[in-house]
Formats: sequence, structure tokens, C-alpha cells
Amino acid sequence: MSPSFLAPSTPSFAAGVSPPYTAIVEFRRRLLRTLEAMQPVLEEAGVLVVGSEVPNLIEPNAAATLVVSQDVDLAIPVQRLAAVKARLPEVQGLHPSVEEPSVWIPDASDLIEVNFIGMDSTLKDPLEAHVLEDDELPLLVFGALSLVRPGTPVRVEGLTIPVPRLAGLLVEKLLTDRGGEKGDRDLLVALALLVLAREEDLAEIDETYVALVPELRHTICSNLAILSLMESRPGMPDPGPHRARIAALLRRLEGVKEAPG
Amino acid sequence: MRESLEKRVRAARSRAAIRAWEYRQRNHAKGMWHRLRRLLADASAAYALTEPAARELLAEGYPPDPVGERMEPPKILLWATAERLGSIIEKHPIPVRLGADFLTARYVALVRFDDETATSTRNSDGATPQTTL
Repeated sequence: MSPSFLAPSTPSFAAGVSPPYTAIVEFRRRLLRTLEAMQPVLEEAGVLVVGSEVPNLIEPNAAATLVVSQDVDLAIPVQRLAAVKARLPEVQGLHPSVEEPSVWIPDASDLIEVNFIGMDSTLKDPLEAHVLEDDELPLLVFGALSLVRPGTPVRVEGLTIPVPRLAGLLVEKLLTDRGGEKGDRDLLVALALLVLAREEDLAEIDETYVALVPELRHTICSNLAILSLMESRPGMPDPGPHRARIAALLRRLEGVKEAPG
Repeated sequence: MRESLEKRVRAARSRAAIRAWEYRQRNHAKGMWHRLRRLLADASAAYALTEPAARELLAEGYPPDPVGERMEPPKILLWATAERLGSIIEKHPIPVRLGADFLTARYVALVRFDDETATSTRNSDGATPQTTL
């Protein structure tokens, strides 16, 4: 792998017309302040920040140059729901939405929305989706999050932020449903993760990929091909300079063989 | 169950059903778009050729890719090296994308990322590994 793809030499994901520097700084500040407010929840074992904010957080010094959404997703292990609920009263500055209690809304504009989703590592089907009923914190449980494993926490500005290992999150993003703005954003987040992937991450991607059913492997390769041909967008990662890397990952995955037996 | 979450579950299940349908279609006509995208994902550059230029390359042993042959009307898509294409005058670069330029061209030469200087006649069915991550 070319060292040029590694994080220390990657000052920013975004190519072309990037958001103004002040906007990036402001968004980073709001993201970190939100995670600071959520520290009681983040301290619970197994809770992870997932979704499009992860590339922002694993950039050097959590630079948050990739502005793809205005909320942050927290994955709650369903087995830890009671413990997480016990910590919610400690959260200051956000409150649950009346219409949808799994979404917490900031009391002021210096924070961003928090979206609680369910994660169940015992699920066998990454396509499964169901609701875990709860009066206080109902969770939409996504089977694809069963591919995610805890990684090394990000430590920035006195915060400890639990994030997933890169490989599982990248595969989860590549299982996104194509089409639409959400699908495109997920693929660009996958690109941001791929840019940061090291050889050990790629080996883990191989392992995760080969364990999937053929239909999902096809989805991953199909989405990589779509990503390769996507046009650049202001403030988003530009697939253009990374097309060779995407092609190499495609060939690598297509060459991965299941272990005999 | 809360209606908002229930709607999202229904949407997720609907998308899963569509994905399964697309997978079953992958070797049929509906799978053509995936095959074209997969082909282009390996290409660092694409050139629209004139028919004589394409015939010249075919005669030299650069084979047409099966993906183009299965289109209707058939399209000649072939892999060539940048070195070889450099000496062909009757060509013009087109975006590596499923756009109008690519779709309307009858004869297209593609350059693989790793074949920008090397010699190769592989097509999309070839299995020879190239740059690896």
C-alpha cells in the first residue's frame, strides 16, 4: 500500500471545493462538544460511535473535514440497553425527540443531533432490521452493524471516543443500498475509510467479505464499482484520485477464496 | 411499535428484497449495468475510436470484451495499452463513466490502471492479477 494513503499525510478527505475552513472548525467543535455531552453513554461497554462521523474522528486530531451529515450515530449493544438507559439522565444539553425518542435533539445550536441505533453481534443476517421496543429508548437494530467490532478509541481534547475497527465499518458502508443521496454519502464515507485502510485492515476486510453470503459479496463489489464512477462533490471525498485503489480492492476481494472446509 | 421506526424497518426490508432481486438478475439483461460499471472500474482511461482504428487493434490481437458484445446493439470494447493507443490518431478521450460519450460510442478502447505502460491483451474474463493493495 502506498504510504500516501495513510492518515498522517492525509490532511483532508475533501477535494475540490471544500467547505470553508471556519465551517470545518465549527462543525468539529460541535461534534466534539456533542460527544462530550454523551460521555456518560460512551463510557458504557460496547457503545460505539458509528456512521459517517467515524472518518472525521479517525482523521489526525479528529480534524472532521468531511461534512456529510449533521448528526452522529451511537450504536448501542442491545444487551447493554438497560445500562445505557441508566446513564441517560447524566446527559446534559440534549433531550429525546417527542416523535422519535431514539433521536436526541440539542437544546442549543452548539451541539448536533444524536441518533441511537441498535447493534446485536449475535445476529447472523446482515440484512435483518427490527425494532427493539422500549418506552424510553426504542432502537432500530440493523443486522449490518453485527459486522462492526470495537477498535482503538480516539483520544482527543480530553475525550475518549469509542469507534469501531475500520474494516467492519467499511464493509457495513459498502452494504449500503444504492441510489439516493443517503446511498451516495455512505459510499463516500466508505471511500474515506478506504483511504485510511492499512494492510491489516484490508486483511480483516477480506475475512469479513469471505464470510458473507454471495448476494452480499455481490452488493459490495457492485457498490465499489459505483463508487469508482461517482463524480466529485464539493466538500466530499473525491473518488477520482483513488480509483486505482478502488479497482485494486475490487480485484482483491474478487480473488479472495473461502478457506477449504 | 412507533410508526416512525416501523416505517424505517419496512423500508429496510423492502430494500433487502430489491437487492435480492438485483442479485438474481445479475447474469441477465438487468445485470448489464453492473457489468459495464465493473468493466469501467478497472479502466484508468477510455477513448472513443473510429471503426478503422478499432479494426486495427482487433487485427493485432486486442480482443473485444464480452461485455460489449452482449450489448444491443453490440459495442466493441477492448483493452489496450496507453503505449499502443498513443500511436493511434483516430481517437478521442471520453470520461470513464456511464455517460453519453461512453454509451453512444460504438468503438471504445480502455486502459487498465496497471497497463498504462505494460502490454496486455486481457479482457474482463481474464484473471491475471495486477496491482494489489
